Amino acid sequence: MICENCKERPASVILTQESSGGLMERHLCEKCAFQSQTFQFDPNQEPLSIQQFLSHWFGGADPFQAPQQNRGAANHGPECSSCGLTFSKFLDIGKFGCATCYETFKVQLPSVLGKLHNGHSVHVGKIPISFNEIYSVKKKIEELRVKMKDAVDSERFEEAAVLRDEANALKAGLDNGGDVSDVD
Amino acid sequence: MEVTYLMSIEKFMRSAVTGWMVPHGEDSDIVMSTRIRLARNLTGIYFPIAFTEEDAMTVDKAVSGVLLDSAETGYSYMKMADLPVLERQVLVEKHLISPGLANPDRYGAVILSDDETISVMVNEEDHIRIQCICPGLQLEDAYKHADLVDDQLEKELAYAFDEDFGYLTSCPSNTGTGMRASVMMHLPALTMTKQINRIVPAITRLGLVVRGSYGEGSEALGNIYQISNQTTLGKTEKEILTDLKNITVRLIAHERKSREILLSKSRVALENKLFRSLGTILYARLLQTGEAARCLSDVRLGIDLGIIEDINMSILNELMIFMQPGFLQQYADAELTQEERDTLRAKLFRERLHAESTSNSIGKSEDV
Repeated sequence: MICENCKERPASVILTQESSGGLMERHLCEKCAFQSQTFQFDPNQEPLSIQQFLSHWFGGADPFQAPQQNRGAANHGPECSSCGLTFSKFLDIGKFGCATCYETFKVQLPSVLGKLHNGHSVHVGKIPISFNEIYSVKKKIEELRVKMKDAVDSERFEEAAVLRDEANALKAGLDNGGDVSDVD
Repeated sequence: MEVTYLMSIEKFMRSAVTGWMVPHGEDSDIVMSTRIRLARNLTGIYFPIAFTEEDAMTVDKAVSGVLLDSAETGYSYMKMADLPVLERQVLVEKHLISPGLANPDRYGAVILSDDETISVMVNEEDHIRIQCICPGLQLEDAYKHADLVDDQLEKELAYAFDEDFGYLTSCPSNTGTGMRASVMMHLPALTMTKQINRIVPAITRLGLVVRGSYGEGSEALGNIYQISNQTTLGKTEKEILTDLKNITVRLIAHERKSREILLSKSRVALENKLFRSLGTILYARLLQTGEAARCLSDVRLGIDLGIIEDINMSILNELMIFMQPGFLQQYADAELTQEERDTLRAKLFRERLHAESTSNSIGKSEDV
């Protein structure tokens, strides 16, 4: 079946909407479903899809029951300032729209990720080399500032000035090198 | 309908065979292949579910720019929208791209290394999916290879990465390492003795998933199972690989034990089953996918146990891929009905296996 909205891509999502004439089913592709206002998946479509898994744990409707009732609450929760995805919609489609979504849903995510990853929500694996460099420079600046404070406290002002210059030089390097604005 | 064949079977088979199908190393009778997939996204561009065609082109240009310019490895670039349906299907059947990428509305493309070990899928569910597929059980090596490509891309491109969540992916099930490691295993004795039904739930509890080899939700066609990690957070890549390897090694031991028991307890019944399957693939005039897969599994087991001789294992691996609808139709260079496919499948099995058993040298020279 072809998506009712774009009439190009295959429909993979069944969306149930309440209208004046009662419940209406719309067959959409993933992409159009993402862009639509409110929707609900057909619970019988893919018994163990990630969408149903998420909405079963966190979302309003029980995916193992017939689609019905309240999707009025569909726009609860934070909304991504970049792509516009709301948290409840994220639970429905089971996908993020962009990297900023992770920042937007930072508070809610540990419990969602924990359910999917055996209770874990923190990455402990590979770190991109470039990120690693930035990260270690940030750490170094922090260390220098602690030392600087020590030096000031014990009135070793010359040493403190050297440390301050060192930290500022590193920070300037970071500022020129990329979007590391949160050093301060 | 009489189909005119454009190429000799052997020539076509050569084009169908790819690195992971040639048995390699210890336990390659049970572990057929190893696959690593890394999901990555570029920072500052919406994920494919939400992005525009323009974004897609930006990603495509960035990724192909890095890889196609690299002098060390030869890569070729294929845009999905430019490939005929059958060619896309063949890439899926060779396990070189995902079914999701073959869907042409995604602006997807694949950058394939000349030896077909590395395929970098562009604009699938994520901007970048690096896949490395190797024969036998080679989790560390396959990861190393994929990791190198990842480093190469990362040197030039800015990835979406977060200190807490790791690599940011479109689906929360990939967040973190973005890595899916999987092994494809032939487990006929565990299946025959129904032990697999006990084992699958136990494996699931360890954070791993078991599937049929033909992707999600499918039954285990030809007793081939795919075992992969479920979780991508809270464990390093190395830990994930070690866990998967430990389970794989235990499954191999279980399978071997079950084979011994089958042999000692019901040798005649087992031989009867395996030789009947050999007869079927040597002489049948119509072969459906399910039956062909079942018979290939039996013959493979027969070879492993020394019951069946004079059949080259890599030919069986080729046939396993070759019997799929996309390949058959590409060989015929036409769309075929199911009956036509079943006829062609049977014909190819006969010719390939008879050619093999009458002149073993042909099959062996191709292994190199």
